[in-house]
Amino acid sequence: MQSLRTTILNHMRIRVPIRGQFITEDMNGMYTHVQLVRACSTAASVNQDQVMDRIVKLVKKFTKIDAAKVTETADFQKDLSLDSLDRVELVMAFEEEFSVEIPDAEADKLKCCADVAKYVISGSNDKVSESS
Amino acid sequence: MSVNTASYLARRTAQKERVKTLYRRALKDTLNWAVHRHLFYPDADALREKFEANRQVEDIELIDRMIAAGEATHNKWRHPDPYIVPWAPGGTKFCRNPTPPPGIEIIYDYGREDND
Repeated sequence: MQSLRTTILNHMRIRVPIRGQFITEDMNGMYTHVQLVRACSTAASVNQDQVMDRIVKLVKKFTKIDAAKVTETADFQKDLSLDSLDRVELVMAFEEEFSVEIPDAEADKLKCCADVAKYVISGSNDKVSESS
Repeated sequence: MSVNTASYLARRTAQKERVKTLYRRALKDTLNWAVHRHLFYPDADALREKFEANRQVEDIELIDRMIAAGEATHNKWRHPDPYIVPWAPGGTKFCRNPTPPPGIEIIYDYGREDND
């Protein structure tokens, strides 16, 4: 019963951003608008650890990968024994998770989770600076 | 002979690259056609099977012809209105709020400069 409960909770969990992590109150008690907007957006957050966490979780869920072998620096091709077409599928999964467009030339350079995190963070930084 | 081998290897690399690009485009197009995930997964599996079926082909000319045929099929079935990520070029949010050019800044004194 307990395990059933945790399973359901794991699926039904709603991510509530922890107050103070994103939203800081300034002196008038007003939320800083830009930060609030950022916390509400579904796109990749800029926080490096969160991005890495999402990437590793996603890679572990990929059916052709042994989840135990996944680390931040494990090479997709050598360590996780994916072929080139599997890597294409994985890159597409990353694109959907972070809603970014990864061009063909960049997709070849993404060899491990750390590379992907670096790419996603650099992309989202551009986006934030563009929109703010 | 070594020139032959080198040119053969170069051609194989180019072919691998073409196959990868073709698979990537075709997979994205599959998602464009199949708007729901439960429709997309079988379609994606079928696509992968089509690629896997010719995995063992060794004849380099035959591979070239197969890739050409695959690209022709993909071109024929390309989606007329593909999904584009909002922030990517061509997306709905592309260049929506561009950064102002450097050297321009907003002075928040709300018209006081006229009265002073």
